[in-house]
Amino acid sequence: MTMKFKDKLQQAPWWLLVAFLLALILGWNILADQSYELIFNALSKGIWMTLKVTFIAFLSAVSLGLVIALAGFSSIRLIREVVRFYVEIIRGIPVLVLLFYVAFVVAPALVDGYNWLLQKPIELGWLDSARTRDFNMVWRAVFALTISYSAFIAEIFRAGIQEIDKGQIEAAQSLGLKDRYVFRFIIFPQAVRKVLPPLGNDFVAMIKDSALVSVLGVQDITQLGKVYSSSTFKFFETYNVVAFLYLILTISLSLMVRGLERHLRRFERH
Amino acid sequence: MKLTWITSLFSVCVAVAAGAAELPDLNGRTVIAVTENAYTPLNFVDAKTGQGIGWEYDAFNEIARRLNMKVDWQLSSWDTMIQAVKDGQFDVGMDGITITEERASQVDFSAPYMVSEQFMLVRANETKFDDAKSFAANPDLLVGSQPGTTNFYVAVYDILDGDETNPRIKLFETFGAAVQALKSGDVDVTLMDATSARGYMGANPGAFKLVGGPLGTEQFGFILTPGSDLTAPINAAIESMKADGTMEALNQKWFFDYKQTN
Repeated sequence: MTMKFKDKLQQAPWWLLVAFLLALILGWNILADQSYELIFNALSKGIWMTLKVTFIAFLSAVSLGLVIALAGFSSIRLIREVVRFYVEIIRGIPVLVLLFYVAFVVAPALVDGYNWLLQKPIELGWLDSARTRDFNMVWRAVFALTISYSAFIAEIFRAGIQEIDKGQIEAAQSLGLKDRYVFRFIIFPQAVRKVLPPLGNDFVAMIKDSALVSVLGVQDITQLGKVYSSSTFKFFETYNVVAFLYLILTISLSLMVRGLERHLRRFERH
Repeated sequence: MKLTWITSLFSVCVAVAAGAAELPDLNGRTVIAVTENAYTPLNFVDAKTGQGIGWEYDAFNEIARRLNMKVDWQLSSWDTMIQAVKDGQFDVGMDGITITEERASQVDFSAPYMVSEQFMLVRANETKFDDAKSFAANPDLLVGSQPGTTNFYVAVYDILDGDETNPRIKLFETFGAAVQALKSGDVDVTLMDATSARGYMGANPGAFKLVGGPLGTEQFGFILTPGSDLTAPINAAIESMKADGTMEALNQKWFFDYKQTN
């Protein structure tokens, strides 16, 4: 019994306690100090935007990444080469640069393409021609984050799938299981547990990288912080609050991811 | 705008300084000056030499000459520059910084050394509006701007309704991004001073034009560490340079005669 208690004491997340205390102190400052309160009110309007951009971009990046990873195992050489090309190129371009490319090159090109494809119905007055501004900056930012992260996530899935013993797949095939069932019942359930920790890592990274969408004027936490600090010149105070808000998001979300991992490990033992 | 008390304070300082015929002598003291090299023609990089040049470089070097100080030029980005000047890491900062009351509670401002006028840069084929009034009247039209800059405040207070969160203002990180957004049709106007506008029109032949007259004026000042002992001498030097036509000559040199070769 005592051993167990000692064990628990040792495993307790002490870093979290310290982080919590720090948050209390900063939170108290925000409540007590009028100028911090003003900053907090101005910036907290951006939390929803940060979460929206991150969640949508992450879910799309996971879906796209999975498709890319599976395409990477294709028996057709051309598809495999295209996948390699995509992953290597996208992975090598900074998120910030991708944001500018997508916002100012890809998005206008897509809009032009849409207008060109639907030339006839537009001329007949059945459809309105699209304007670049109809492709909202928020969605361009989400699109750019999706593309950027899909390359990393595809690599995570690839590693997870490759780790599964070939023998299992061969055994399943020799039992006469169709390929898609082999994937669904043999590969996928095991791969999910393998990829979850690195995926959680990428999720936290994306919350932070979503700050970059502020360069497109998306009103997230960082953008509101920039606006506030450059009009008041209170840079230090403002970035304190920015850091505080991001920490609340990243720590609480990474705790959730950890909880999910623990749940899946328990599931594995049974 | 809300500058009355600052301007009256400045005019007192300036009057005092003008009374003293001789400028203070700082005995060769080294002053660390900082700018960003991202605001043509006030401070920017000479494409040929890679050196920082511009109106503010010339003006501050001249101030230093008159006050017998040496200038140690440094570079920094906008937000780190202001915080570092506030902390005393740099003595003086300049980047076409508009003097406002709220900012003056964080750093010291010199006397204004320049009045900026903003113009409306639009796509060359723009027909929906031709001045600030007709722009404001059409709720579909958008303006591209940068947070905390002169053109942002002019857009808010001189064109739109004074609401700094007006959704008709789309904010971008840099002038370049806002102009790009104008070009691709995301916004319908960006505000900038006549020189920068001419630069963009020159670099994109046939893409842009200016409409309407000059809009709301803003005053630029050097920023100094709070309580700085340099404020009074610098103000005196600015006053002497206004009086003897040096400022006018700098305006002529950088806003009219200088041709940017890309």
